[in-house]
Amino acid sequence: MVALNSRFLLGKYREAFVVDGKGENPIKAIFTLMLKFGLIDGLLTVSKDGNSPRLIFKAEDVEIPVRNSCFGVNALLKKAVQKYRLSRLAVFGPACTFDGLNKTQYFGIGCNWTKTAVALKISFLCPGVLTDTAFLSEVVDITGKRAGVSRFYFQKGKLHYQLKTGEEITVPPSFHHRYVNSACRYCLNLSGKGTDLTAVYLKERDKVLLIVRSERGLSTLAQVQRSSPSTLYFRKADRKEVESLISFLKEKVILNITDIIERVELGFPVPKWNDNKLRKFYRLWNSIDVNSEEEVF
Amino acid sequence: MFYRDKLSFEDEEFKLKVGFLHFSSCSGCQVAFFDMFEEAVEILDTVELVYSNMLTKRRDLPRMDVAFVEGALCIEDPHHLHLVKELQKKAKLIVAVGGCASFGGVRRLSCGNQLPQPQHQSFVPITEVDLVKPKVKYAIPGCPPNPSLLYSFLLALLEINEDFLLPFELMTFSTRASGMDIFVEVVNKGFCVGCGTCSTACPTRAITYNYECSRPAFNPGLCVYCGSCLAACPQSFKPYPQPTYT
Ligand code: SF4
Ligand code: SF4
Ligand code: SF4
Ligand code: SF4
Repeated sequence: MVALNSRFLLGKYREAFVVDGKGENPIKAIFTLMLKFGLIDGLLTVSKDGNSPRLIFKAEDVEIPVRNSCFGVNALLKKAVQKYRLSRLAVFGPACTFDGLNKTQYFGIGCNWTKTAVALKISFLCPGVLTDTAFLSEVVDITGKRAGVSRFYFQKGKLHYQLKTGEEITVPPSFHHRYVNSACRYCLNLSGKGTDLTAVYLKERDKVLLIVRSERGLSTLAQVQRSSPSTLYFRKADRKEVESLISFLKEKVILNITDIIERVELGFPVPKWNDNKLRKFYRLWNSIDVNSEEEVF
Repeated sequence: MFYRDKLSFEDEEFKLKVGFLHFSSCSGCQVAFFDMFEEAVEILDTVELVYSNMLTKRRDLPRMDVAFVEGALCIEDPHHLHLVKELQKKAKLIVAVGGCASFGGVRRLSCGNQLPQPQHQSFVPITEVDLVKPKVKYAIPGCPPNPSLLYSFLLALLEINEDFLLPFELMTFSTRASGMDIFVEVVNKGFCVGCGTCSTACPTRAITYNYECSRPAFNPGLCVYCGSCLAACPQSFKPYPQPTYT
């Protein structure tokens, strides 16, 4: 049964750490070290602004997206696996990137033998992605002023933007919900289940909350720590820090569920071959059948 | 059981009799199929290749559990008409392999209807031929499908992994596929997340990625109607189990 419990929202995980990169974004530092020490042979992600995919081979070239805009990561997947024959690839993006990648690995469609080519999957906790123009409209709607967004982060269960003007604003989920990519309004995997690690950007640029899901994620972090012990500092996240994330996810996912239900009720079409998963979700969600009259007697 | 009357994997004698049949095609699918066997050492014990126009000598079609079929059927070719009748009689289950057999593929570009040149003939995918339709249980997209897909498919068939097989079953009801599906089925319906998987799956670069609007772009002139793009899109189907971590 689907329930909005923490397992449904955040997925299964082993540990949650707050990682301090001492002046550097810890995720960027992890990839830099991994490339430097040969733990991976490539990084597939997008540019800092999220607008174009990047396939990175050298430690000094590492860049990662810092705002909730991330498009086209998998467009370079075939190049990475079939052209450059990378066999220890790391991938960084939102959960849906990994839906595409995991599907390619599981079925074998799209790119040949991807199953054995990926060494690490890191997702970021994703509140829904926006294009440049959608960011501008959203900021105008919230602040009344025109300004671009330079980064996003979470603090005390709220989504925040840092604007290009330097100003920091809180983004109410109900506003945000109107401007995200349409598909993000039906997404139930904001936290990146199906990856090794999920990074949650925090207010301090050099800190992330890292949700460790897999043994591979844990051992990778241990290897990174061993190769350069003084670059990253780990502390176990406390319960409150994880709970604040869950409260954000709950607020956003309820909006998404409302849209899924409305979509099914309106009878909007779904892609062929999809086996109508939204209708199945709808049925499941509405399967609580309480006959109050019977209960009275 | 669909390809065996009685199934027991404990039965050490179990050998799945497979054949690979060729209608009008470039043979690329058959090459990909045999490519797969390089990796498929563990299934070689359970599979027996009883027919292939490339690898076996026999000319008559033997009985088989699963017939993998590549290529589209040429209406003008008497050999194809004979072969499809034989296929109906001899195969218990048919798998359409690749765009040509499943959705018409590059044969959709033929300007038919007479012998002798292939571009002058007319073709139908076997998923459209009523005589064999009840036996065509699965269609595999691609031009050609990746050997890794064929490998995973064969494994799923042996293990009767219905979750894996279901989408390929649904594809048999869809006799047409093209890059336009990405727009009609995903983008227009509000499901595109902009991940770019469709463009990586396209063998001809008919689907590319438009960085301006963070969405796929489609050039119909390059499409060979293979169905890979929609099949690869995470929004078309994803009944795969999420990786479970211990
Ligand atoms: S909200 Fe979901 S669908 Fe949208 S970008 Fe994030 S992970 Fe992908
Ligand atoms: S689907 Fe492509 S590879 Fe397969 S037979 Fe047709 S043209 Fe050749
Ligand atoms: S756009 Fe590409 S992947 Fe899609 S059907 Fe056409 S050739 Fe195949
Ligand atoms: S594969 Fe990704 S980019 Fe292509 S249509 Fe599907 S969701 Fe959009």
